[in-house]
Amino acid sequence: MFIYEKKLQFPVKIATPNPKLAAFIISQYGGPDGELGASMRYLSQRYAMPYAEAKGLLTDIGTEELGHLEMVAAIVHQLTRNLTDEQVKADPAFASYFVDHTAGVYPTAASGFPWTAASMQSTGDVIADLTEDMAAEQKARKTYDNILRLSDDPDVNNVIRFLREREIVHYQRFGECLRMVQEKQDQKNVYLYNPAFDKNRMAKG
Amino acid sequence: MENGSITRCGDKSGTLPSCAPLATGYVPFQQKDPQRYDQRDALSNGTLFPGLNLPFHLAVPGSKVPAGNRADLQALCFVVAELGLYLDTHPDDAEAFALFKQFSKMAKEAKADVEKANGPLTQKNTADFDKYCWLKDPWPWNYEENEVK
Repeated sequence: MFIYEKKLQFPVKIATPNPKLAAFIISQYGGPDGELGASMRYLSQRYAMPYAEAKGLLTDIGTEELGHLEMVAAIVHQLTRNLTDEQVKADPAFASYFVDHTAGVYPTAASGFPWTAASMQSTGDVIADLTEDMAAEQKARKTYDNILRLSDDPDVNNVIRFLREREIVHYQRFGECLRMVQEKQDQKNVYLYNPAFDKNRMAKG
Repeated sequence: MENGSITRCGDKSGTLPSCAPLATGYVPFQQKDPQRYDQRDALSNGTLFPGLNLPFHLAVPGSKVPAGNRADLQALCFVVAELGLYLDTHPDDAEAFALFKQFSKMAKEAKADVEKANGPLTQKNTADFDKYCWLKDPWPWNYEENEVK
């Protein structure tokens, strides 16, 4: 089960509201490589994991991603607080978000495409899943790189820098986990069986 | 997994097998006893491990973390979480586990301090207070939450 702790993983304190920034940072909330997709991907994949190390790592990283989802939401919320009608009108990118969501937080890509499970997978195959997870961390790292290119707000970049570094650490851990998993497979052919599904065949040898 | 028998690489490098099955992905394993930041620098950099700190060219050199008991707690909890992920792939590293225990204890104490000063961190812990103060503003995403009072 999950228990909520009334604190963020990393402090979010954005001094200056800026709807323009919010209109693209929302992509890390509900975009194709965002934190909602990350948490749903890892927390869904763990059920088919045949090994304890993979169950644990997906649970722990998936849980951390829920904390990152909350941090991204906190950035968007603070960037859009106390806005005036004039500020909304002055920014066309935010105005198109505003018309549907006002200053609420909604999982969508910066392009306006709502969050979709089609941007993630849960394959039931340990090597396919962990390889996807490594790619997912790189895609999120890239999005944070691009946010750093577009944002000149030090309060925002402070948090984005932290989130970006977490992607690199998670990539390392998924890579180590993939190695632990591959070492448990047949060393002549790691693809001989799917250990999550072909249990009877594996027992027969 | 094969760490230990192989010559130690630099802290920004890890170990790879000398021979490995074709058509498989390999990330170098982080070696045991990696260099570490203290908890404030760990939170500020987004990792406990200098060897894994690989910033983007446009990033400021370290994130600013405010002073105060809440940020102290965030830093301690961060080290616990970071060591937890390390232990998930290095479960036999006894030294890392000893550190994990030490930081978990410090985080528990810091949690008690924050709750005493600012109210409960979990709904369940509201039972330790005189009245039902779980709903008290600010919530973590509010700007005021991180204002220095």
